[in-house]
Amino acid sequence: MMKTSLWYVLKKEIREMFRDKKSLSMMLIIPLMIPSLVIGMSYLFEMQMHKPIEAYNKIGFAYSLSDPEKEILANMNINYIEKSFHELEIDYNNELVDLYVSLDGNVYTIHGNESETTTFASRLVESYFDVYKEYLQQEYLASVNVNPQDVTNIIELKNEVQKQEIYFANYVTNYAFLFIIMAITVSATYPATDVTAGEKERGTLETLLTFPIKSRDIILGKFLSVTFSSFITGLVSLLLMIISLLIAGNMYSIYEGQNLMLSASSFLFSFLVIVLYSFLISGFCIAIASKSKTFKEAQSALTPLNFICFFPGMIAFMINIRATALLSLIPFLNYTLLYTDVLNGVVDYFNIFLMICSTILIILFVLVIIIKQYKSEQVLF
Amino acid sequence: MLKVEHVKKKFVKVDKKKKKQEFWADNDITFEAYEGEIIGILGPNGAGKTTLLRIIAGILNPTEGEITFDGLHYETDEIKIKKNFAYLSGNTKIYQTLSAYELLLMCAEFYGVDSSIIKEKIKKISTYLNMDSFLHQKIGNLSTGQTQRVNIARCLIHDPKYYILDEATSGLDIISSQIILDFIKKEKENGKTILYSTHYMEEAENICDKVLLIHHGEVIKRGTPHDILESTNTSNLRDAFFKLIEEME
Repeated sequence: MMKTSLWYVLKKEIREMFRDKKSLSMMLIIPLMIPSLVIGMSYLFEMQMHKPIEAYNKIGFAYSLSDPEKEILANMNINYIEKSFHELEIDYNNELVDLYVSLDGNVYTIHGNESETTTFASRLVESYFDVYKEYLQQEYLASVNVNPQDVTNIIELKNEVQKQEIYFANYVTNYAFLFIIMAITVSATYPATDVTAGEKERGTLETLLTFPIKSRDIILGKFLSVTFSSFITGLVSLLLMIISLLIAGNMYSIYEGQNLMLSASSFLFSFLVIVLYSFLISGFCIAIASKSKTFKEAQSALTPLNFICFFPGMIAFMINIRATALLSLIPFLNYTLLYTDVLNGVVDYFNIFLMICSTILIILFVLVIIIKQYKSEQVLF
Repeated sequence: MLKVEHVKKKFVKVDKKKKKQEFWADNDITFEAYEGEIIGILGPNGAGKTTLLRIIAGILNPTEGEITFDGLHYETDEIKIKKNFAYLSGNTKIYQTLSAYELLLMCAEFYGVDSSIIKEKIKKISTYLNMDSFLHQKIGNLSTGQTQRVNIARCLIHDPKYYILDEATSGLDIISSQIILDFIKKEKENGKTILYSTHYMEEAENICDKVLLIHHGEVIKRGTPHDILESTNTSNLRDAFFKLIEEME
C-alpha cells in the first residue's frame, strides 16, 4: 500500500507539472540556451584567434629603417610608416597607426595604449624583432667566420604545451557542463516551489493531508517528481550540448583537427552527475521551499541556491584547481573538478566514488529533514 | 462511533514585539457521534471549530486528549481511519488543472477503491450529482456551484462512514449551499455520521441532531437544538448563543 500511495502522489505531481506551462518551460526552454552559449563562445574565440592582419599591421617607426629591416617587414606583411616620434604619436592617437616604435641607442621601445588592436600589433612587432634579431646574429656570426647553424641549433626544443585549440575546446565544454548544472538547478527551483509552497498557497495541501497517505509518501512523491523534472532538463541539456559541440566543431576553424565529441567516459560521467545532482538539488529546493508560506517567499529563499550551485564550480575552473580526495567530497565543486579531469582523460575512480558517496549521504540527510517537515503540522502554516 | 475525549490544542502566537504568547484554540472538548447523526459544531469565527475539525481529520495533532474512530487511534491506525472519512472545508481547494473526472479517479486511487469498479462509480456519482455535462472539463473553468458538486463527488467516491464538513457552505450562494445541505440530509438517511461546523446558526438548527456551542475554544452548551432552546428559554440558536455568552460574562 505504501508503494502504491507513493506512486499515486508521484503520478499526480508529474501530471500537474506537465500541465503547468511555467514548469514545462523551465524544464525545456532553459536547456535551449546551451547551443547559444557553445556557439557564441566559439565565435568569440574564433574572432580572437583569426583577426585579419590588416586590422593591426600599421606600424610606425620613429627612425630610418635599413633595407634588410624593410625586407623583413614586407615579408611579414607589416605596413611600415617612417615618421618623427611626435608625428607618430599624433597618428597613433588618430588611429592611423596601430603601434609605433622608437630607437634610443641600442634600445628599441614599443609604444601604445592598452587595447585589443594594440595587443595584436604588439605581438606582431615582437615577432618582427625576433626575426630581425636572428638576422643580426647570423650576420655577426658570418662576419667572424662561424657557421650560424652551429650556434643556432646548439639545443633542440620540443614543445608539448597544450595547443590553444585544445584549450578552447576544453574551455567551451567545461562551461557548457557548468551551464547544465545551472539549468538543472533552475529547473528544480520552480516545480519545487510549486509542489510545496504553491500547493500550500492554493489550499490543496489541506485536502491532500486528509487522504489516506502517509506524510512520508506525500513528500517523497513530490521530491521524486521534482527530481524527474530536473533529470529531464539535465538530459535534454546534455544532448543539446553534444549537438552544439558537433556543430561548433564543424563551423569554426579553431577546432580544426579536434574531436569535440564527448568521449564515452565523459558522457557516462556527465550522465552520472546529472542523475546525482538532480536528486541533490531537488532535495535542497524542497527542503527550503517547504519552509515558506507563499510561492513568492519560496522563490526568494531559493534564489541564493542558483548562485551557490554555479559559482564554486566556475571559480575552481577559472583558477584551475585540481580535484583532490577532499575536494571530491564537497558538493557543487566536486562535479566540475572531476568533470575537468575526465575531459582531460584522467578517470580517478576513487575520487568519483567519494563524490557519489558524499552526494548520496547529503541526499539522505536532506530527505530525513523534509520527511520530518511534512510529519509536523507546521507544514500547513 | 467517533469519540472525542478531552481534546486540547495550544498554539503559540508571536506578537509584533516578537514575544511568544500561548493560547488554547480548543480547551477540553469531549463528545461522541453515532451512526446516522449530524453533530453541529457552532460558534463565531475564531471559536476553535476549524482547529477541532482539523484535529479530528488528523491534519493537526492535539496537545492533549484523544480521538478514536470505531476504537481506532491515529497513532497506530492513521491510514485505516482516513479511509473511513471524507473532509470538506470551505477553505480547502481542489486541483484546478485536473478535470472533475481525473480528480475523482485520483481520489479513488488514493482511497484504494477497487480499480474494476472506479469508472462505474464515477459514472454513478456523476449522474447522482448531475455532473455529466462538465465531468471532463477542467475544474478551474467550472462555476462555484459546479466546483462544489465536484467537491461533494470526491467525498462520495470511497463511500465513507464519516463526513467532516468545516464551514462547507461558507461564502456560497443560496443554490450552492442547498446542494451541500441536501447532500448532508441524504447521507444521514444512508446512516452516515456527519460533523458539521458552521457559524450560520439557523442552518444548523434545521439539520443537526445535536449541537455543540463553542466559544473561545470551550463548549458552552451541548444537546439537541430543541433542548438548548428550551433550557435557555429562547426561540432560536442565535439568541441562545448570545444569552449563554451574557450569562458567562
